[in-house]
Amino acid sequence: MTAALQVSGLVKRFGGLVATNDLSFSLQEGESLGLIGPNGAGKTTVFSQIMGELRQNSGTIELFGQEISGLSTPQRIRAGVSRTYQIPRPFGDMSVAENIRVGLMPDDIWRMIVSRPDTDREKELALSVGFSETDLGRSPAELAMGDLRKLEMARTMATAPRVMLLDEVFAGLTVGEIAQISDLIQSMRKDGMTFLIVSHDLPALEPLIDRAIAIERGTMIAEGSFSDVMNDTAVQASYLGGV
Amino acid sequence: MGLRWFHYVLWGGLISGMFLLPQVVSNGTLRTMIFANYLAIFAISWDVLSGRTGYVSFGHPFLIGIGAYTTAILTKRFDVPVEISIPVAVVVTMIAGLLVLLPALRIRGSYFALVTLAFMELLYQLVQVIRPDLTGGTRGMSGIQTLTRGAANGYYLSTALMLSVAVSMWLLMKTRIGTALAAIGMNEESVRGSGLSTTRLKAFAFLTSALIAGLGGAFYVHYLGSLAPRALFDINFLFTIIVAALLGGTSTIIGPMIGAFFMTFLLEYLRPVLPGAERYFVYGAIALLLYMYQPKGLVELAQRGFQRLRKGGLA
Ligand SMILES: Nc1ncnc2c1ncn2[C@@H]1O[C@H](COP(=O)(O)OP(=O)(O)O)[C@@H](O)[C@H]1O
Ligand SMILES: [Mg+2]
Repeated sequence: MTAALQVSGLVKRFGGLVATNDLSFSLQEGESLGLIGPNGAGKTTVFSQIMGELRQNSGTIELFGQEISGLSTPQRIRAGVSRTYQIPRPFGDMSVAENIRVGLMPDDIWRMIVSRPDTDREKELALSVGFSETDLGRSPAELAMGDLRKLEMARTMATAPRVMLLDEVFAGLTVGEIAQISDLIQSMRKDGMTFLIVSHDLPALEPLIDRAIAIERGTMIAEGSFSDVMNDTAVQASYLGGV
Repeated sequence: MGLRWFHYVLWGGLISGMFLLPQVVSNGTLRTMIFANYLAIFAISWDVLSGRTGYVSFGHPFLIGIGAYTTAILTKRFDVPVEISIPVAVVVTMIAGLLVLLPALRIRGSYFALVTLAFMELLYQLVQVIRPDLTGGTRGMSGIQTLTRGAANGYYLSTALMLSVAVSMWLLMKTRIGTALAAIGMNEESVRGSGLSTTRLKAFAFLTSALIAGLGGAFYVHYLGSLAPRALFDINFLFTIIVAALLGGTSTIIGPMIGAFFMTFLLEYLRPVLPGAERYFVYGAIALLLYMYQPKGLVELAQRGFQRLRKGGLA
């Protein structure tokens, strides 16, 4: 069976710094993989390479068997992979609904012009991440961090991904918001969504993943079940030394 | 909701007032209005690209100039009828726009502005030396066919043209393309991260902008009947366009229109007081002040005033 996402021998250098060091892992369709590691370990850099926002120095990235390294970011999104950002990046002068609208747009200028926005779907997505109907008209400037993350989730979901990469999904969220986003991820997992999730909140991450990999300075140091990875001596050393 | 009725009132008042105007004002005022109409077209053209996407063009006189020169040369030197020369001018402007576009799309900020400015300067130099028998060289061209006779007719034609441009751009920008272009201005990376090819969107904005600039330039030269490179490729002309859009309020259609009229009449009324180029200094200062204290422009300012009035009336 071809993997939903297969990363092989990925290397990324920033000058002398090796941010991704010969990293390989794969994700089966419907699987949820946790990516953990101390600050600066290179987790976000992996996401950026998968999305084509950064070009790897070597290695391959396959999405459902297709090598996507030559594709632009929008093309990769059309191929079925989408991400959220550690620091939410909303469109500041637009409402929540319009932010989601951008994610729902076809990458086709003619269709953008002639067909109307699907406001029902905008609302459905907003409600599914925990917004209320009155939030639809609010502007990102009025939103708290938790709401901005929800908006980021909704806009990412709007691109209809088959594989979702979530970067620090729980950072800055209240306990209630963590529960809400967790429920959302769980229900999407039931529907067969494939996830790669980065989170510093390990207790919140544990129930959301089938497996975990740990990286330190761009190198994979452990792989396996969540508890195996957490009990790994290298991981424990890196967490004591890092963070 | 408050915003919507306000817009309809503004548009309705504006359109009916404009068509009644020649009955009440002098020909001098009408000529000023004609210039304001063309300036509004140019400011809308600028805004479609720069106001929305945040790619600030300093090269709009280049586009306008291509449109103006193309139709002027075709009609005067080759006796091509205007029904053909104007559409050709628009197409040529769009093709010229593509040439600017190619290097310009990948760069942002001040470099984009500089590259576009360079194109304007380039064209200014070129028309003076390359085939002056066609372009009229440094002195430009005169005796170009005019489309209307008399100030009132010139006014009606320019008003109709300006309103058609305004209404079609308003309709276009109301669709999702308007949302997408505005999104580029707010966060281009996030637009790509939403799966949209920003290069294609920017190209669309650029071509639309070039289309309007070419159209405006072509009609304008057939109103003036003459063409002077020094007046066209003038930094003051460029800033008049940009300041009109900024002053009125970018990312709207009515903003650049109001800005264009405000600027034109301000310059006109300042003429007796400040006959020289110092006038431009005055509007520069006004624009700067407005931009510092009300960056969303006159439209926003008026909207707030109306809202305050309404609230006061209800309370
Ligand atoms: N664009 C960049 N240029 C140079 N260095 C970078 C860049 N992006 C990230 N880095 C460096 O790469 C390393 C990994 O960063 P990052 O992927 O953000 O880590 P994480 O997400 O695991 O906290 C860090 O040392 C960071 O400073
Ligand atoms: Mg990170």
